[in-house]
Amino acid sequence: MKTTKSTDRRNFLLAAGLGGAGVAAAVVTGRKPASKPKEEAVAASKEAKYRESEHIRKYYETTKV
Amino acid sequence: MAAVAAVAMHRALPAEEAARADFYALLARLLGSAPDGALLQMIAHAGPLAGHSELALAWRTLVDASSAMDENAAGDEYQALFGGLGKSPVSIYAGHYSGAVAVGHPRIRVQRDLEALGLAHRSTTQPEDHIAALFDAMRVLAAGGAGRGPAKLEEQRRFFDAHVKPAAGKFFATLAGAKEANYYRRVAALGAAFLAIEVESFQLD
Repeated sequence: MKTTKSTDRRNFLLAAGLGGAGVAAAVVTGRKPASKPKEEAVAASKEAKYRESEHIRKYYETTKV
Repeated sequence: MAAVAAVAMHRALPAEEAARADFYALLARLLGSAPDGALLQMIAHAGPLAGHSELALAWRTLVDASSAMDENAAGDEYQALFGGLGKSPVSIYAGHYSGAVAVGHPRIRVQRDLEALGLAHRSTTQPEDHIAALFDAMRVLAAGGAGRGPAKLEEQRRFFDAHVKPAAGKFFATLAGAKEANYYRRVAALGAAFLAIEVESFQLD
């Protein structure tokens, strides 16, 4: 039962566009998408842009909680 | 609920849960202060989300808007929307939307629930019920951080239902409708789309 529900949640989130690309991750943390080889190639070519910026690093250092 | 013990290891977070945390982080960042040039550039160069969901559409719109926006304009807009003492067009405090009363003010309740989850609100300039602070708390609950692992889904849902859900929808609707909003209308659309996903997904587990 629990497993089914978790699967539903996972499928729902993935269908909603979460998790596939890690786009926001690239923006917020400079992290490259973990799963998709194609996306990773794209990320690598833009590596300088996706590097964790000073700004974002500071943001995490001063993070509120 | 006991304080979270230091058993949290670096177990890989499922991609969709990590993505939730990232959206919370991004929204918290954009609502905490105006984006600077570097952040606008990063968003402008980010790729599209897969699919044709409301979220994917809102994301693409924000990406496009970010390439047309500069940091001075963003700063002015942020100030026009949220600035000023008590007279801003759009309140950025959850208490404004969820019905604040002197006793049991949302800030007090947020503080109490954060403590129960083993989190401490540390900002002296940003009250507990600042929307950015609430989103940042959700980021930590979803992905871990600040020396702890991800919270159980049930804990996440409880915090979300108590503090985020009663206010965030009205907040984004108010922001989207504010005449001062231009870039932040896109931020509001992204926030609303993401929030809708959160509301629905919490009902699935």
